[in-house]
Amino acid sequence: MPHVPIERHQLANGLRVILSPDDRAPVVAVNLWYDVGSKHEKPGKTGFAHLFEHMMFQGSEHVAKGEHFALVQGAGGTLNATTWLDRTNYFETMPSHELELALWLESDRMASLLPAMTQEKLDNQRDVVKNERRLRVDNQPYGSWDEKIQALVYPEGHPYHHPTIGSMEDLSAASLDDVRDFFATWYAPNNATLTIAGGFDPAAALTMVERHFGPIPANAQLPGRPSTAIEPRIGREVRETVTDRVPLPRAYVTYRVPAFGGEAFDALEVGTDLLAGGRASRLYRSLIRERQLAQDVVAFAFPLIGDATMLALWATARPGVEIDELEAALFDEIDRLRADGPSDDELQRARTLHRASIESSLERVSERADRLSMYGSLFDEPERVNDEVARYERAGADDVRRGLHEWLTPDNRVVLTYLPAAPAETEPAADSQEVIA
Amino acid sequence: MTLTVNPRRPVAGAPREYHFPPFQKHSLSNGLTVWLVPLEDRSLVNVHLLVDAGAAAETEPHGGVASLTAQLLVTGTRRLDANEFAEATERLGIEVSSESSWDSARAAFQAVPEHLVDGLDLLAEMILEPRFDAGEFERLRAERLADIMQARADAGGLADERFLASLYDESTPYRRVAAGRPETVEALTLDTVRAFHAAAYRPAGSHLIVAGRFDPDPLLAAVERVLGAWHGEAGGHRTVVPQPAERRRRVVIVDRPGSVQSELRVGHGGIDRYDSRFFPGLVMAAMLGGVFGSRLNLRLREELGYTYGARAGFDPRRSAGPFIASAAVQTEVTAPALTELLAQVDGIRAAVVPEAELRDVKDFLIGIFPLRFETTAGVAAALEPLAVYGLADDWWSSYRDQLEAVDVVAAHDAANDLIVPEELLILVVGDASRIRAEIEALALGPVEVTTAD
Repeated sequence: MPHVPIERHQLANGLRVILSPDDRAPVVAVNLWYDVGSKHEKPGKTGFAHLFEHMMFQGSEHVAKGEHFALVQGAGGTLNATTWLDRTNYFETMPSHELELALWLESDRMASLLPAMTQEKLDNQRDVVKNERRLRVDNQPYGSWDEKIQALVYPEGHPYHHPTIGSMEDLSAASLDDVRDFFATWYAPNNATLTIAGGFDPAAALTMVERHFGPIPANAQLPGRPSTAIEPRIGREVRETVTDRVPLPRAYVTYRVPAFGGEAFDALEVGTDLLAGGRASRLYRSLIRERQLAQDVVAFAFPLIGDATMLALWATARPGVEIDELEAALFDEIDRLRADGPSDDELQRARTLHRASIESSLERVSERADRLSMYGSLFDEPERVNDEVARYERAGADDVRRGLHEWLTPDNRVVLTYLPAAPAETEPAADSQEVIA
Repeated sequence: MTLTVNPRRPVAGAPREYHFPPFQKHSLSNGLTVWLVPLEDRSLVNVHLLVDAGAAAETEPHGGVASLTAQLLVTGTRRLDANEFAEATERLGIEVSSESSWDSARAAFQAVPEHLVDGLDLLAEMILEPRFDAGEFERLRAERLADIMQARADAGGLADERFLASLYDESTPYRRVAAGRPETVEALTLDTVRAFHAAAYRPAGSHLIVAGRFDPDPLLAAVERVLGAWHGEAGGHRTVVPQPAERRRRVVIVDRPGSVQSELRVGHGGIDRYDSRFFPGLVMAAMLGGVFGSRLNLRLREELGYTYGARAGFDPRRSAGPFIASAAVQTEVTAPALTELLAQVDGIRAAVVPEAELRDVKDFLIGIFPLRFETTAGVAAALEPLAVYGLADDWWSSYRDQLEAVDVVAAHDAANDLIVPEELLILVVGDASRIRAEIEALALGPVEVTTAD
């Protein structure tokens, strides 16, 4: 495995800086994680962290609207940002000689976003985000699945209960005052982790970072992370059935499991790969190939750091297959692995595939930078990037069996089922929710 | 808070030189061309096998057979059944993909160097001795039919399919997606697949691309060993002659009741891979709808907030694929969004584009050049059009000069030559009861309303 070099620094204002130089190509990645996501949102403000992320591209004191994209792309770079439950990240990949441009752009919006904010820009991006929601959720078959499972796995009032995209109603209510408050509270150097990876000179880069980010004051009143305390288990089976305009029935099964970062999570991640990673995995082999009940099968664990995260599976029924039969077959396979654990060959294959996928991911300078920021921001341990393979391989067959046995139980799961609506009842979507003790 | 320590954009340093990596080309005696791109500083290696077995190599009554054949290849060999084959690849840490487009079929994998030759063995085995199991065939055919259902349930997927079907006349294969329509997929048999494989999977006209960390001489010997016995003349393919269904501007509304957005697809025929206007067309399309700061995206998203994103581009194939501008807009603004989209299409033809705007787009397309080849997969994929379309070996080494040579006149000419507003097909997937009247009021041309089924 290639070793990712890591140099750690911290500016006086608290900004964490991670440098990872290598000389493979004349490209450099700049990646900035802010420790703020949708879990930090207040009641009635769902979707705001993400809407705010859009506002970060609307210009800052010395950068006009549209100029951020234009300058980066004109320099031959690529850029974007994403918001999720735990965090928001901003990133550029640049030709090496344009490193300072990316740093300057990031620093200008961290230092002085507000002078550029206007009601017109907010209204515009609110409309854009509402259209993003329509595209991904409201006009999309099965598009509401993740917001529904979040709402069922986490109780009302829990920071993970609501979706990152937010509700239309809350998006409508967002104001310029909200932008000011959110910026003043969370967009401070002592709440951010900056990574530079790829072809660059570390000493020169550090000077640039100091020049552009050094003068930005810390937020002395930075709040801590919101409490995500929760019962470790759901304690009952929760079921919801959605009748919607979908062509085939699909079951989403989600368990409440230990958070990303610990050994329990690692063992469960191995478990998801054994279940549905690749064409020789248990669910693919049984549900798709042999019994031909499913059109597709997916399993993965959300890398959330709050007290509990989600392990989700879904399977789409083949035409003519009853959802109950598919669901029963899915649980049979899960139970078999929970009872017997994996064979040595099976576990070894999962490890070999995992190693290959890590190696492939780390080929990209942008991915190296993002993982360094992630581990630096979430755990203050960027070194974890070089421990990903070992951590995965520390989970032995018995750890995996025990982990699945403990957490993938009927009384710890949410079963969300989509059923095709008869032509006459396509609108509005009919929901029924039941709780089985 | 106001901080004005660094109000000005920093000055860029000196760019480092970058060149597309040198590659070797070898012809085996059976007609297979082997492209080798050794990259010593990488830790992975990619293998892409390209065969003239795309949808252009099938016949219309068997539409979809190329796609299904490609998919079946990863479901076992004479020696290994589907599960054993999957396990064998996973033990090497590889996942073999196999798929087809209009102009070629591609089987590919990525591996660490120590597993390269074992992976190559499996790849050759699956091409030369496919199992073609009857049960796997039935399964994949049924999955394909269900995939089509799923795609049609998605407004965007439905729009993509209907746009092609409305754009071209009955004689044009491009009027459907390469993977086929339900009517022909349903009629496929395992014998059809076997016959297609026998006729189209031939070494002559095929290309094996290897890019990444490997030693060329032993690798070439290994290729000779595992693929040298493959034999047969090239199977050939149809020449597609795209014919528009109509040569006048017209509107098709596909009724999808309850939609909260309308999916817009506006376009007509485009260019092929050999068109002399390829580079001007590429630059012009980028200005219109190929980058974040494109005219369509700036107007429809960043000014009006009608959409999450608007784009436009060509789809050059061996013959001319379509030119399409697209956006998903909220239902309430469907008609004004169409007006705005058409205004941008008209605008890029009306006046010579400003020098600065052209400069920005060219700087982007030229500047991202090294980024495109950061991964071994990126390098291998870059050689595919050279192999499939027979483009000149210096394609990538002259690529940036070709882009640079596009001036404002060439870009403007491309807009006027390649976009014909009077012949645009305007297709909208949305709730007809809410959008029909206002679209008709735009008087864009005859309006046809169809159902989604």
